[in-house]
Order: sequence, then structure tokens, then C-alpha cells
Amino acid sequence: MSSTRTMTVLPGRRARGARSLSRRSSLAGFLFAVPALALFALFAIYPAIQVFALAFFDYSLTSAPEFVGLKNFAYLSSDPRFLEATGQTLFYAIGTYGTALLLALMLAQVLSQKLFGAGFVRLLWFLPLATSWVAASIVWRVVLHPDGMLNELLGLDVQWLTSSAYARWALVIMSIWKETGFFLILFLAGMASLPQDVYEAARLDGAGAIRRFWSVTLPLLRPITLVCVIMAVLRGVQAFSPQKVLTNGAFGTEVINLFVYKTAFESARMGRASAVAVIMFIALLAIALVQIRALRRKD
Amino acid sequence: MKRERIASSIGLVAAAAGGLAIFSVLVYAVLTAFKAPGEKMGAGASWWPAEWRWDNIARVFEAGNFDTYFLNSTIVGVSVTVLNVITCTAAGYSFSKFHYPGRNAGFILVIATLMIPLEVLYVPLYKLVFDLGWTDSFAGLIIPAATSAFGIFLMKQAIDSVPDELLEAARLDGAGPFRILVSVIVPSVSGTISALALFIFMTNWDSHLWPLLVASDDDYRTLPVGLAAMQSNQLGDTGIPVILMAALLAVLPTIALFLLLQKKFVEGIAMNAGIK
Repeated sequence: MSSTRTMTVLPGRRARGARSLSRRSSLAGFLFAVPALALFALFAIYPAIQVFALAFFDYSLTSAPEFVGLKNFAYLSSDPRFLEATGQTLFYAIGTYGTALLLALMLAQVLSQKLFGAGFVRLLWFLPLATSWVAASIVWRVVLHPDGMLNELLGLDVQWLTSSAYARWALVIMSIWKETGFFLILFLAGMASLPQDVYEAARLDGAGAIRRFWSVTLPLLRPITLVCVIMAVLRGVQAFSPQKVLTNGAFGTEVINLFVYKTAFESARMGRASAVAVIMFIALLAIALVQIRALRRKD
Repeated sequence: MKRERIASSIGLVAAAAGGLAIFSVLVYAVLTAFKAPGEKMGAGASWWPAEWRWDNIARVFEAGNFDTYFLNSTIVGVSVTVLNVITCTAAGYSFSKFHYPGRNAGFILVIATLMIPLEVLYVPLYKLVFDLGWTDSFAGLIIPAATSAFGIFLMKQAIDSVPDELLEAARLDGAGPFRILVSVIVPSVSGTISALALFIFMTNWDSHLWPLLVASDDDYRTLPVGLAAMQSNQLGDTGIPVILMAALLAVLPTIALFLLLQKKFVEGIAMNAGIK
């Protein structure tokens, strides 16, 4: 685009020299992308292709891969641990991210207004984002300790991290604490970009705050909601650190990512782990397509 | 109008109460980190330390190779950030301001990888890094993370908004493509570059799974991996203040960066989702 426009501005430079210059600069232009493209080819595209191949092999790092056809998939389809991990991932993702999204949406509605102290309240909600997952998990290990903060405040005596009834909830509670601020940032940025005159018009028509939220804010926010939901799904299925640090997958908290990790690196079943990755990849693609369709349908 | 103001005040009070609950977890952690080993916790015990044990900070460094983990995280975090800024700015420049066959295909391929979570890739990625002999090395920690699809997308968008006339003026002054990148493009998009740098650094400081795979040797562990290892070595309750102190020291740099650069940080996260 740039060269064609300047050519018409500068008709005198149109001759041979200019053309060879632009050819030279297009080669230079390509060279600027080479470092990134080379890194992508090697560390993203190549593994992404290879994961599909490895899924059909029995492979541990030290021995040669052995072709086993669909055996990895057949094994997984009847492996209770894999099915359990799938269910656990759904529980964790819906519990954490469903709640975090709703909370963030309501908070953003309040905190996007110019109210005294709103900036400080936002800061409080953002703060967990500045901590790392592992450090936050260690903090929560103490908070969830039988003599820890949560039991103390609620007057309970619950073994949060060492009972099958509560461990999955403990992880959800901790993750809501960690993640709500992330979606609050997204919704606040989204709301700031909404056209203000629509609100004025709705206000002049006598629409109350709740009415304006349902019939102006929410419909206008749909593209941002779509982004948030896709991000939430991606983050939900990638959960690893809190499960690894707090329970190591015990007491019914083994999520898919931890299952893949253990299968590949503790049981040295890299082919089987790759098969899980392939299933995840296809499932995520399907989920993303369904989400895009569902949220666009009403437009 | 008045009723509305009351409603939003109630909303703000609720949001503030929630915010304080979020914050109280960190306050609790800080206070507990200064307690004496084995000091009573829970019902009837005070949150406030009976005696402030500042030596808990020193005990973190005695308990494991915390200083090594901290140094490794710094080396890896800074290297990954610098490399990302370079590769993403250069690629964004290439995709935005040049024409060559395959340009769009290259860009689309990069964007497509945004949707692939790490867990889909890391088994073959580990195999590759293992075959390259990069396990237990800085190369294995840094190079696979040296560029990012999000960064390239972000820089392309920012560079799209730099007017072509500016580039043409520099070209007429005899500047080559590289000079134009350094003296025209970079100053024009420095705000985006700093948001990207902050985002990459914070993300890398948090990175747990990949360093866990690549660095099994203690000398190459980064903070998340090292902390997790220290934590499982200190399961007893008497170790609680020290391991908490270690966790807090580990996030001190990112908390400081966040408090200093809150606007940039928020901008980076919003841009990560494609919301500006």
C-alpha cells in the first residue's frame, strides 16, 4: 500500500530505479519477519504437527517410537482416570470462570462509573494478577490450612485440601480470587469503548440503570463477552499450577493438564499424552466455533 | 436520578467490601510470614505476629537455593522480554509495511497459533528440546519463549497506525529499512512496546509448567519451580512462615512493577484480549 501511494505522489521516481528499490526493500521486509517465523516454525508449527503423529505411536523418550494405530485413543476412551480428569476440568473451568466472569461483569458495571474511590477498589481486585500462580497457591495453602484464615473466618473445621468432598471447591475458591481481576480489566476496557451517546439517549428516554444494563450495555458488550468467554475456556483448560502445588491431583482434583503432565513425564507415555493433546485440540476448536456462533446469532 | 446515585453507592460499597476481602488474603499472608515458626494459628490466635521475626527473610535464603532461583528468573525473564520485543517489533514491521509473496499466509499462520494452548504442544516441544540437548540450560528456558503470536499481532496493529508519509520522508532522506525501524517506527510505537514488554515479563515470571519440564537441575530452576520444590520439602507446619515469606519475596518484583505501572499493565492485558 505504501509504495503505490507514494509512486503516484512522486511520478518522476517511477522509473527502473524505484522498482528495483522496492524489490530490494521487499526482501529486506521479509528478512525482518525471519527470526519470528523461524522460531514459530520450530517451536510451534513443528510440534503442533508432530503431536498428531506422536498420538499414533507408543513412545517414551529413551526408546524408539512404535506405531500402535488407534490404541492410544482406544485406551483413553475407557480409562477412568482420563474421564475423571475431563469431568474435573469441566467442574474447575465452569466453577472458576463462570463465577469470575459474572462477578467481573457486575463489578465492571459499578467500577466503570466515575465514583470516588472506584480507582482504589479496582486496584484491590487487580492485585492478585501481580502474584504468580505458584506463589498464590502457597499463600492459599496456608489460607486453606485447617487452622488457616478461611476456617477461622467462617468458623468451620473443614479439611479443605485433604478431603475429596472439599478439595475441588478449595481450588475453585482460590482461582476465583486469582482470576476475577483479569476479566474485570477486560470488561472495564470494553465498557470504556462503548459509545456514550447511546446511554444519554436511553437515559433521556427514561430507562433506569438496570434497564440500561440489560438493553444497552449487554448487547453492545457482546463482542467483548465473546473474547472473555474464549479466554476463560483457554485459561480453564490450561489450569495446572494450583492443582500441582496444592493437591498434586489428589482428592479428585486431577485436571486434564496435570493428567497429560503425569502421563508424559511420570509414566513416560508420550504417545498417550499426545493423544490427549489431540483430543483437547479438537475439543477446543469445536468449543470456540460453537461460542462464536452462539454469541453472534442474535446480531 | 437520586435513587440511581444511591444504587451505585451501594454497588460501590459491595465492590469495596469484596476488594478488601481479596486484599485481606495478602495481608494475612504478610502477617503470617513474620510469625515465629510454630506460632499458633487459627481460632483464638491473633493474626498479628507475637514478635516480628525479620530473620525469616534470611531463613528463606538458608532453606534452599532461593537466590539461584531468583537470579535465574531474572535472567530468563529479562532475556525473554528483550527477545520478544525485538522479534515481535521486527515481524510486526515486516507484516505491516512491506509486500512480499506469502506475507499474509505467514501472518495468518502466526495468529492461528494463538488458539493452541501450551498443553497441546509441550510433549513434542519437550522432545524437540531434549533432542537439541537443551534440557537443563538457559537456551531451553529462553529460546522457545523468544517470540509470541500475541506480540506480533499487537506490534503489527500499532505499526499499521504509523503514517506511511513518515516512512517515505525518512526514505527520501536516505534511510534504509533498518534505520527507519529504529528511528521512525520504534519511537512512534514506544507506548505499545513498553506495554508488551511489561506483559511478557509478568507472564514469564509466572511461567511454571515449561520451566518445570526443562529444568530439573536445581541450578536452572526458576522461582515458580524452585518455590514449589521448597514447599514440598517443608510440609511441616513449623515451616509455614518461611515458605510464605519465600512466596512473598518471589512476587515482590511483579507487585512493585504493577503498582508503579498499573496503567500500562492494564493496557497490556486488555490488548492481549484484543480490546483497546
